[in-house]
Amino acid sequence: MKVLEIENLSTHYLLGKETVYAVDDVSFCINAGETFGLAGESGCGKTTVAKSIMRILPDNGLIVGGKIWLDGQEIVGLSENEAKKFRWRKASMVFQYAMSAFNPVLRVGDQIAEVLQQKEGCTKDEAYERVKKLFEVVGLEQSRIRDYPHEFSGGMQQRAIIAQALACNPKLIIADEPVTALDVVIQGKILDLLKELKQKLSLAVLLITHDLSVIAEESDHVGIMYAGSLVEVGDVISVFKEPLHPYTAKLIGAFPSVAGEKVKLEFIPGTPPDLISPPKGCKFHERCPFAKPICKVESPKREEFGKGHLAVCHFAGELDLHR
Amino acid sequence: MFLSEEKVLRVQGLKKWFPVRKGFLALILGKEQEYVKAVDGVDFDVNVGEILCLVGESGCGKTTTARTILRLIEPTEGSIQYHEKEITTLDKEELRKIRTKMQIIYQNPFEVLDPRLSVKSLVGEPLEVNNLTSNERELEERVLEALKEVRLTPPEDFARRFIHELSGGQLQRVAIARSLILRPDFMVADEPVSMLDASIRTEIINLMTELQRLHGLTYLYITHDIAQARYIGNRIIVMYLGKIVEQGPVEDVIQEPLHPYTKALISNIPVPDPTTKRKRILLSGETPTPVDLPKGCRFHPRCTEASEECKSKEPELQEIKKNHWVACYKV
Repeated sequence: MKVLEIENLSTHYLLGKETVYAVDDVSFCINAGETFGLAGESGCGKTTVAKSIMRILPDNGLIVGGKIWLDGQEIVGLSENEAKKFRWRKASMVFQYAMSAFNPVLRVGDQIAEVLQQKEGCTKDEAYERVKKLFEVVGLEQSRIRDYPHEFSGGMQQRAIIAQALACNPKLIIADEPVTALDVVIQGKILDLLKELKQKLSLAVLLITHDLSVIAEESDHVGIMYAGSLVEVGDVISVFKEPLHPYTAKLIGAFPSVAGEKVKLEFIPGTPPDLISPPKGCKFHERCPFAKPICKVESPKREEFGKGHLAVCHFAGELDLHR
Repeated sequence: MFLSEEKVLRVQGLKKWFPVRKGFLALILGKEQEYVKAVDGVDFDVNVGEILCLVGESGCGKTTTARTILRLIEPTEGSIQYHEKEITTLDKEELRKIRTKMQIIYQNPFEVLDPRLSVKSLVGEPLEVNNLTSNERELEERVLEALKEVRLTPPEDFARRFIHELSGGQLQRVAIARSLILRPDFMVADEPVSMLDASIRTEIINLMTELQRLHGLTYLYITHDIAQARYIGNRIIVMYLGKIVEQGPVEDVIQEPLHPYTKALISNIPVPDPTTKRKRILLSGETPTPVDLPKGCRFHPRCTEASEECKSKEPELQEIKKNHWVACYKV
């Protein structure tokens, strides 16, 4: 069952007279009980996709095209008041820095209870009962409910943020770099928790991170973004084992691994383009070792190769990208 | 790779304790002074021409160790010998001279480089403050040469720029050029690529290893990313709560970790391959702050193999295999 379906989403930021083409024609979907890993370098538009889904773009951010269906309901056309109703209840978000997501002068339990009181109309006592259950679900001691955020360690704060995200039984959780600020041992625990919750509650999870290693271990499907475009989508094994887009192949090759044979690490010369004036044709052509004249003038179309494995490249399927 | 036995650096019994500020009540009750034992008795050598990686989780003392070695912070106890010369007792003037040979590259070039100076002034500054150049022309030549070395070409163009006109990778190159211009033989690199995107990290790492070969440099490379250490280092040191728990050749330590902490740490590192299935070893709790350290082995409260011995006496580093040292009774 599709929980989230995005079709040709384009989001721009207006900066005075200029426009930042932050997200350009992005389409993908997530089923219940599935993790979709969205990867890419900083500034590629991952977080803008998340904010578009949650309808929490800043004032100068505008969804200029496309549709988003969340649990069967189209949400791009909703007014702010209607959007308020689905936030938390159908989709909620886990942020990178839990410490800055909580208000430092309010108790953690109160902050989670507040969501329930506001959104579900619970009384204070009911809300507290549910917070206790949520604490148990994410593996926090119930006695911690009256603690302040600074009394929590980094891993516990991240658990509390997850508890808050789960408060109104959403169908979709967007986790934006949920473990980037954490050490690997705690990172592993939080990722295991997310996986367990996903299975138990059959959640759809949108996992956003720059770390392809985390994506490889945690996702069922993967999307790779570059300069605002989704250049490749597919199931995790196809994308990692038989990448179609040169960017995907190079990016995977740039990640060092502690397992297996030591192979030469790749790099991509140059830097991603400025999204105020993205290059003509394929946006990756300036850094692509396989670029041909056509790549400079004509934007490639999205094409399907194998079931659900799509890529946006003139030469997808023709290049030798295996390492 | 040939590694000479000659040492660039020998660190023995290094300690850095930061006093915890006492509260008013503690003061009038005359409570004992508490310390954050950031580095608590560390011994290691850095051989000429090697890249030694210092790894561990945040708060394990790796950065404090590096800064103490350069005497950017004063050690509490212990000896640091640079080419057999004790540097903990040097006065300011002597230290200034020796520092031209020992340089550091920081994690975030934005915080290091003055936004109001041109790249030329930034890279030339170390020469000027150390009076190592006699005239403007020589200074300019050496700056351009250093920029060329870190592949900021054309150097004349980059020399005129300011840091807001450069990308993150280019900035880190400027920082490297600035350290290199003094012709050091020992460099501390503190998470030099952690701020950069994956696609450009390798480029900087390759540059650093090429420069190392070219100039016969020795690196102490600090990182939290063990996978990265595998690709850059010759030897690796794993720290936990201010102490070394394991050290040895990179491949040995990563493929066959011996200390329970290293085992758990490595098992938790995600691998960029969805077909590799690995089991994460779970550690109970989180790393405590190094104020109230447990007696005995500081890892014992989280260790599944801990016995009575581990709780009473702290294990010393022992050579288990050739060059592979571990501080654990159970190995």
